[in-house]
Amino acid sequence: MSDPVRILVVDDELGMREGCRRILADEGYEVETAADGLAGLELFRERGNFTAALVDLKMPRMGGLELVERIHELDPDALILVVTAYATIDTAVEATKRGAYGYIPKPFTPDELLLPVRNGLERRALSLEARRLREERQNRLLEVAFERSKCNTVIHCMTDGVIVVNRDGQVVLRNNAAARMLPECAALPLPAPLEQLACAPLTGLVTEALHATSLPLIVSREIALDQCTYMANASPVFEPGGDILGAVAVLRDITALKKLEIAKSMFVSMVAHEIKSPLAAIEGYLNVILSGVGGNDPQRDRKMLERSLLRARALRGMVADLLNLTAMETGDFVIKRAPLDLGEAVTAAAEACRERAEAKHIELKLQGADRAGAPVLADRAALVSIFTNLIDNAIKYTPENGHVAVEVEPNGMYAKVAVKDDGIGMAPEEKERAFDEFYRAKNAQTAHVPGTGLGLTIVKRLVEIHQGRVTLDTAPGKGSTFTVRLPVVKPDEAH
Amino acid sequence: MTREAPLILLVDDDPDFLDMTSHVLEAAGYRVATAPDPPTALDLLGRETPCLVVTDLMMTGLDSGFSLARQIKTDPRFRGLPVIVATAIASRLGLDFAPRTGDDLSAMHADAFLEKPVLPADLLAAVHRLLARRPEGEKP
Repeated sequence: MSDPVRILVVDDELGMREGCRRILADEGYEVETAADGLAGLELFRERGNFTAALVDLKMPRMGGLELVERIHELDPDALILVVTAYATIDTAVEATKRGAYGYIPKPFTPDELLLPVRNGLERRALSLEARRLREERQNRLLEVAFERSKCNTVIHCMTDGVIVVNRDGQVVLRNNAAARMLPECAALPLPAPLEQLACAPLTGLVTEALHATSLPLIVSREIALDQCTYMANASPVFEPGGDILGAVAVLRDITALKKLEIAKSMFVSMVAHEIKSPLAAIEGYLNVILSGVGGNDPQRDRKMLERSLLRARALRGMVADLLNLTAMETGDFVIKRAPLDLGEAVTAAAEACRERAEAKHIELKLQGADRAGAPVLADRAALVSIFTNLIDNAIKYTPENGHVAVEVEPNGMYAKVAVKDDGIGMAPEEKERAFDEFYRAKNAQTAHVPGTGLGLTIVKRLVEIHQGRVTLDTAPGKGSTFTVRLPVVKPDEAH
Repeated sequence: MTREAPLILLVDDDPDFLDMTSHVLEAAGYRVATAPDPPTALDLLGRETPCLVVTDLMMTGLDSGFSLARQIKTDPRFRGLPVIVATAIASRLGLDFAPRTGDDLSAMHADAFLEKPVLPADLLAAVHRLLARRPEGEKP
């Protein structure tokens, strides 16, 4: 309607051409004319936007039948009407076979021309519209199919397990993750009753979701399966009308989180135990003294008070260690790194321990501190803490009159410090756990050795913060050697 | 005719507990032997004849006090020897070790359960009660 209808008139009689032009133009059609078949074909091909063609049968150069065929080839939708004085059934049938829509016998009145043109155009419009609708429908179907397969792909690629159940409790969809999580699920031909997943908590959860009556409703539960823990969320699926269609359950693997949680509460219980033991000892001593049940011998009471003080101090030390450890873990531990002389830090640590060594008549020997080689990039306080801990430890686990040797030596890219003692040493299972939090070797020889069980843990963390490594070589009765390796500053990095 | 004071065996890896408990028991007229761990305790039991054992619960293992008690209770040599379990940890990792009934106690193979810090009066009361229950002639 908005586009004008353009009609090509092909006839070798000028009067015919102009007559048709006039009649059709009066009706609002745009008209072009050609004097023979070939000229008509050229025009049709060049302009390409004709809606209809009126074609005379008998023309020079190219006859009407051939022109009908060629135009139909160029545009199968073009409305072609044959106009001729030689009206026979045979030619009419022939023209129709080649693509003509109808036949107008000469001579004709304006109405006899216009009627078939109008009818033909109307029919053409209808068939074009029908085709458009058909194509549109086809495209929509394709689109829906594509959307559905896209949706399926997304669901199957999800890391969370997805299970969809219809309102009869039949599993109608499971994604790949769900098939991995539920061992019974992968091989199950769908649809299958929910119970066949052999996971009672999930069945219960989904059933609850199916019987949910109001939105929003999500039921959640932790489900333990095999070695894994899943967080399962189920919610009902409603039709647009509000009727329940089924339920969808999503399973998320929270095994790692769960392990962390357990490790955390284990650590908290361990800390609680380590704090409660010295407190119980202090309170116990005070109870004995205050109740007088111990006899109230002043000398004894004083000894008990001294022990209490010792335990209280150890407890405070442990709390300080714990705070440091926590700070290292959360990254709040302030480390001020600068290139410094490892030998100097080791010497300072050894001097801090000397008094305790002398009290036990232990010979504390320091070697190589004056030729430690290239500086290390480290925090001085942290370095002193590392070696004080190690030397103190060696003194604690070495009997009176024993030997502790601290050896500093450059070793390529690393500076090496070995702290050796000829003390009681450790059994393999003790060695394995030596750096664990709160682990202390417990036997008759170590019963009276004070300590928090955090010293070596702190040593290991501090060494690791400095990109170094600490190793332990020990055997029962053969003493222990702790070796710390710290990276040295390359010559071009030093200033 | 003076009779030797009754001997009590203390088992604990905390030297302070051994120390303070020794003071209380010695002041009450008992003799005391101490062991820092179950193997030493069992070794000592083979040589000495204590009339009662007080043991810590958590030593080398989580429940080494219970296994020591079980070994004592199932060994015919130590028949009738009372065992008191004492610990600072009534519940750890959600495990509640504190018994509620006599059945719980016998399942632990312990005759009494005390929570640390043990009040000297409570300890002495438990010791007196268990020793009074025991006929004189049944001493190992």
